[in-house]
Amino acid sequence: MMNVLPAFKENPAFTIGVELELQLVNLQDFNLAMEAKDFLRRLSETVHPGEIKPEITLAMIELNSSVHASYQSLMTELRAMKSIVAEEAARSHIGICGGGAHPFQKWKEQRIFPIERFTHISEQYGYLAKQFTVFGQHIHVACHQGDDALYLCHALARYLPQFIALSAASPFHQGVDTSFDCSRLTVISAFPLSGTPPWVLTWKEFSDYYDKMMTLGIIKSMKDFYWDIRPKPEFGTIELRICDTPLTVEKAADLAAYAQMLVHWLLDTRPVLSREIYLTYLFNRFNASRYGFDAIFIDPLRRKHIPLLDDILHTCQQLEPYAKQLDCKIVLEHIKKAANRRENDAAWLRKQHTLFHSLADTVRSQTERWSRE
Amino acid sequence: MHLLFHPTSHANPIALFGLTLLLGLIGGELAARSYFLPRITGYIIVGFLVGPSVFNMVTPSLLAGARIFIEISLGLILFDLGRHLDFTWLRHDRGIMLMSIAESSLTFILALSILFAFQIPLLYAALAASIIATTSPAVVMMVADDLNSKGPVTRRTLILTSLNNLFGLVTFTILLPFLRTTPPHILIESIVYRLIGSILLGIAIFLLVLGIAYLIGKRKENQFILFIGSVMFAIGGAVMLNLSSMLTLFTLGVAARNFNYKYLLTEVDFGWLAKLFFILLFVITGAHIQLNGLWQATGIVLLILCARMLAKISGIWLFAKYSRLTNQQAWALGSALTPMAGLAIGMSNIIFDLAPNLGYQLMTIITTIVAILTIIGPIATQLAFIKSEEALLQNS
Repeated sequence: MMNVLPAFKENPAFTIGVELELQLVNLQDFNLAMEAKDFLRRLSETVHPGEIKPEITLAMIELNSSVHASYQSLMTELRAMKSIVAEEAARSHIGICGGGAHPFQKWKEQRIFPIERFTHISEQYGYLAKQFTVFGQHIHVACHQGDDALYLCHALARYLPQFIALSAASPFHQGVDTSFDCSRLTVISAFPLSGTPPWVLTWKEFSDYYDKMMTLGIIKSMKDFYWDIRPKPEFGTIELRICDTPLTVEKAADLAAYAQMLVHWLLDTRPVLSREIYLTYLFNRFNASRYGFDAIFIDPLRRKHIPLLDDILHTCQQLEPYAKQLDCKIVLEHIKKAANRRENDAAWLRKQHTLFHSLADTVRSQTERWSRE
Repeated sequence: MHLLFHPTSHANPIALFGLTLLLGLIGGELAARSYFLPRITGYIIVGFLVGPSVFNMVTPSLLAGARIFIEISLGLILFDLGRHLDFTWLRHDRGIMLMSIAESSLTFILALSILFAFQIPLLYAALAASIIATTSPAVVMMVADDLNSKGPVTRRTLILTSLNNLFGLVTFTILLPFLRTTPPHILIESIVYRLIGSILLGIAIFLLVLGIAYLIGKRKENQFILFIGSVMFAIGGAVMLNLSSMLTLFTLGVAARNFNYKYLLTEVDFGWLAKLFFILLFVITGAHIQLNGLWQATGIVLLILCARMLAKISGIWLFAKYSRLTNQQAWALGSALTPMAGLAIGMSNIIFDLAPNLGYQLMTIITTIVAILTIIGPIATQLAFIKSEEALLQNS
């Protein structure tokens, strides 16, 4: 059954959903806490919307929202989930926070969550599995058919640096200021199946590619592709996997709505795809991770260097009709405000560190912000 | 050469300290290789072998020479124990306080009843019972550290140990002045002075620590020295003022955890230094082990041992559901609280000093219970952490 690429599920277009990988933190030293197993058991005894699942190591959990047609209903659900998780965390005396990487955890101290899939990943990838203790937000946007999904995978590649800068929340890693706004992506790049999907544009071609990879014994399912963006046939969605988990659920909902508007606009206007986009893809990805809003975006099609900030503001302008249509004008306001002030979560975390002179206190303020907002 | 080398009949305390560490280290590693014995058991066995009961290499007079090291070790442990008592957690999970009250008071009442039934006067029985109610923080911390045990059972074991030590310390501090035949008003003054005085001294030193932390900043190296210095200062200060140094240090730890409102203090791990002191402490605890009580008072010792284990496990069981623990976690938690403090030997010494005739009988009972629990306690705690899957095993 699992050897065949699942059929692309038909879905009402443009519905959205998110997955948020969260940090479990010890409230005494603010290092990561190996509490996921017990914490998930406690959460399973409560009634909550969406799903809450384990992740690769014992200091991580993942919140999965339900499918939503609107930004507002997604936000309402994420807030409800956050409240339940925060309440349960307080009873267990552990902290919960967003952020793409824990500032000072040591990867070698992490422990693999004891289920078959993660044990297998650990055996396959060795130390990379523990280094994978980084925290991302995955955004699902539904589309009608597999061909649309593949079109979107390539069309959205040009916009992924925007998502990196907007969501960046991992300036500190393994105890140091990395000078990156988003250090998390460097960890993911180490995996052999990371990167972007192959240049195939129809579901038929993708199915052939999938079969070849399966026959060669490289993959067992779609989950083995750690691409920055990938089709998710079981859900009938494309899945953006480039974002750091933001420090608040409000920001997570904003990013999901931004993706929803972009997908809507791309499928309406259908800009012509060019393989040239991948000429500068990795460099743009690096620039956005390193410099955040101050990055320069290199447009390979127009042969131009553009400040990423201007590119975001220009995209916001293009999306205005869709914001009106999807009733999420406020999202564009948030994004423009953050961009104009160059305020992403990485900047906020650096401010906290300057204020407290301590990475532990930086994590404490992260946990407080997660519970508060 | 003969001018430089002067063999003396007295061992140098520093040489003793070094020898103790080296032998302890070997014993600990040999125990660890057995796969079921904790390192602590190795340290204790080494202590027992070199102590007065077997080879008599480390005599009581030599032990007195190492007193300062022991006091600093105990001070650090009590300070660290206080830091595990987090009021926010107690507020959010009422089950922890209920479990603690149940296990501490059940242990206290059962031990008191048994001792009283065996003709020990009530006051002495109560003093001994307050000691018996406590779990050894050193053993719990060392086993957790040794196995790199992290998780819900380990964290709860530490806070429950902190709470039952608080119960024991306060009860002991209140009851002790009753041993002296003094007029009631002086007695009350004495209790209030020792109890409130120790707490106030702990708070005063905490405020001093905050002031210094404000000046020196958050560099871990600086804060490490700040904590060690304040622990030593607290020990000396309490002795000079005739206060309980144990309660003073515990208060200092509790304050550091709960009243650090401006985040001036940072979390410091005593790490290698703690390990050094822990080895010394356990070897010396081993040297103190006396099993003669097992022959002199077999019945009472065994009865108290069984009652203590029963009380701790059932105390946890009674309220485990309030804390939403699984059955397996409740069992593990009850078992992990088994070790009894070497500290108890110090406390029973105090009783002995004040009332030598009755104190001897009690001391024999307590030291025998400590001896047995010193041997089986670390194994029980280790098993509890391993069964809870919180200890770091290979391939985790």
